[in-house]
Amino acid sequence: MNSGNPAKLIIKNNIIPDLMAGTIFKSERYRQKVESVSADILRNVSLNRGFLLWMGFLTAVLLACLYAYTVQLREGLGVTGLRDITSWGVYIANFVFFVATSLVGMLISCVLGLSGAKWVKPIARIAEIIAVAFAAVAGLVIISDMGRPDRLPYVFIFGRFQSPILWDVTVVTTYFFVSLLLWFLPMIPDLAIAKDRLPGRPAFLVKAYGLLSVKWVDHEKQFEILHKAMRILLILIIPLAFAIHTVTSWLFAVTPRPGWDSTIFGPYFISGAFVSGTAAVIIAMYFFRVSYRLEKYLSDFHFDRIGRVLILVSVLYFYFNLNEFLVPGYKLKTADAIHLRELFAGHHAILFWSVQLFGLVIPAILLLFRPLRKPLPMLVISVVVLAAAWLKRYIIVVPPQAHPHLPAQNYPVEWILYKPTLIEIAVSVAAIVLVLMIITILSKLFPVLPIQEIAEEEALAKNESA
Amino acid sequence: MRNLIAATVAILLLGTRLSAQDWTVPDDRKGRLSTFAFDDNTRTTGERLYTANCKSCHGTPGMDNWLRLVPPPGDPAAEKFQQNSDGEMFYKIVTGRGQMPSFRTVLSANEIWALISYLRSYNTGYVQQVMQLITSSAYPGAEIRISLAWNSADSTVDISATAVKENSSVAVTNAEMQLMVQRRFGHLALDEPRNTDSRGFVRFRLPADLPGDTAGNVLLMARFTDEETFGSAGKDTVIRAGMPVNAASLVAPRAMWNTARKAPVWIILTYLGGVFVAWGFIMLVLLKLRDIYIIGENSSVNKQ
Ligand code: HEC
Repeated sequence: MNSGNPAKLIIKNNIIPDLMAGTIFKSERYRQKVESVSADILRNVSLNRGFLLWMGFLTAVLLACLYAYTVQLREGLGVTGLRDITSWGVYIANFVFFVATSLVGMLISCVLGLSGAKWVKPIARIAEIIAVAFAAVAGLVIISDMGRPDRLPYVFIFGRFQSPILWDVTVVTTYFFVSLLLWFLPMIPDLAIAKDRLPGRPAFLVKAYGLLSVKWVDHEKQFEILHKAMRILLILIIPLAFAIHTVTSWLFAVTPRPGWDSTIFGPYFISGAFVSGTAAVIIAMYFFRVSYRLEKYLSDFHFDRIGRVLILVSVLYFYFNLNEFLVPGYKLKTADAIHLRELFAGHHAILFWSVQLFGLVIPAILLLFRPLRKPLPMLVISVVVLAAAWLKRYIIVVPPQAHPHLPAQNYPVEWILYKPTLIEIAVSVAAIVLVLMIITILSKLFPVLPIQEIAEEEALAKNESA
Repeated sequence: MRNLIAATVAILLLGTRLSAQDWTVPDDRKGRLSTFAFDDNTRTTGERLYTANCKSCHGTPGMDNWLRLVPPPGDPAAEKFQQNSDGEMFYKIVTGRGQMPSFRTVLSANEIWALISYLRSYNTGYVQQVMQLITSSAYPGAEIRISLAWNSADSTVDISATAVKENSSVAVTNAEMQLMVQRRFGHLALDEPRNTDSRGFVRFRLPADLPGDTAGNVLLMARFTDEETFGSAGKDTVIRAGMPVNAASLVAPRAMWNTARKAPVWIILTYLGGVFVAWGFIMLVLLKLRDIYIIGENSSVNKQ
């Protein structure tokens, strides 16, 4: 056990299938636990009526929104509120929001997982589902902002290594794949467990489980390899996650506009990403806890812990906000002054202050009280935080464009003051619907909690108490 | 009370003055004419100049797609624009007003006339009048000629101005002259303006480090500062008075702003290295999945 490899020890204790506990897998206790846990968790794996109705509803909304997109394709970006001066609107705000939220996969699985927080075990897969869904759609959102989407391949054909766009496309794709693997790899033992325990489910699903479980037989060697693979991914995802959101922030920071001209945009974006991602995970946890009846596994304890994480990342984000607004606000350089005045007391003041207060300061204070770190209050808080996180991206993206360094004189006012059109809103809703569809499919067709790990932990716990 | 009325009247008058958008050209400038006849050549030159200098505001003539500025630039093909006499157009282009820039130091008189010849091609009713001589109120009826001599030994330029009328000629004395070098946008004045002496001569010293083209050529332009008195006669000469400048093209070396082929090496290496490492590890993980599969298959074979 004391092999002298601390990294291995730490990882072993957490979200990775326990390799040293090989003996436990042969015990009767473990086998009983697998039966009871898998019964609880696999109960939800089905294409039941609720699932079909929900997916049908999402599909209908999606189709309606896609119609809006066909209008945009036919007529061009003129049907949006985007014009010469403000050329990035809700699409790009949506994109930044999506990339941000997807970062929570890294936060939960790696930062917390690697640092030895045991309670993240049941949450890690939910976090990865969110990461996969948001990262997958983030790429599509970018395409909706293109006037000529048919020219997307040009990014690769004529792409310049110097352009943050090429880096962004590359990093989003890579992050998506690694998140997918981080979701899939720890699930392999579960798929093997589940493939014989899904009576009455569609044959294709059972067959898919068989294929995806890559002949998993709980062999000690298999655990060892899985363990190594996970360690590679967990370390790889950290620089990737930092890269994906730092590069996204550079799309702004390298563009000379007053509100974007910032050296701390990278960490500012990343800390903000943790806030919105954690809120998204809490909402998902609440949903699965209630509608999948998993109160036993997603307990008050887990909510309490992730509530503390939300406080921590909010304080961190608050710190970066302070830097981002106080320093330019103190100097008030000509161009910054126009922009900041609009935010603090002008056109965007109400939005700005509500987002900062209700999306950041007040939630963090409320969560300090233990009774508010219970599932239902946390759901309410997280919904507000997530909505504010979206609006915060809007504040980051849109207002700075109205005040370019070269004054935008003598333009029609609607070219400068951006207002999203109905078409734009519909296309953005389509992206959100797609995210929900991916989350639904991943969490309804596959076990949403790690069966094997929970069973193992319960068996071990019993061992100890015995 | 009387003061109040006076003030009110004054304000009213001021108001009407401001709201009158007329751009009046001094009477003695209105009748100014081109010294050369407009032809296809001048129109082609004019079109090129128009595209480079004017189109961004005035739009494509005839399309009414000028920039929505206040007061409006207007479409050159429109009647309001064409109502200007040649002299009025010339004056407005030279002096500018409000958002309409002054092209005094940007375009030469000949270039402005070429522009006007192009603009007039949108006016079917236009008949050109050509003026042979440049009028000068100081030397009525005379044609003023300017000559320019470059002394490479002491790096000076001697300019002489003479007024020629029929067979007699006199030196143009006490006339302020300006020497300029053509730069990429606008002209660079060399030295202070100087007056011609009693023989009609004026001498300018050129700086030793005046940048020229790759061969050291510069285009020197001599003009009277007081065009109203001495007319717009001028002398443009290319001489090898500058330093040869071989400015490396900004897009020749590898740079952040260059094409992908000319990206800085470090950024190519960082990008490709990053992609290679990340996807290398992803491949490694996929190979590990294969190992898991093989172990599973072997052990199930063993069991049978
Ligand atoms: C920066 C924009 C801009 C550019 C460049 C520009 N103009 Fe103008 N122009 C204007 C504006 C604005 C007016 C109206 C000015 C006024 O009425 O006070 C105007 C007026 C004029 C007029 C007078 C029109 C009339 O109806 O009397 C002429 C002639 C003219 N421009 C010619 C030119 C030419 C030739 C060029 C290129 C060498 C040029 N302009 C470049 C903005 C521009």
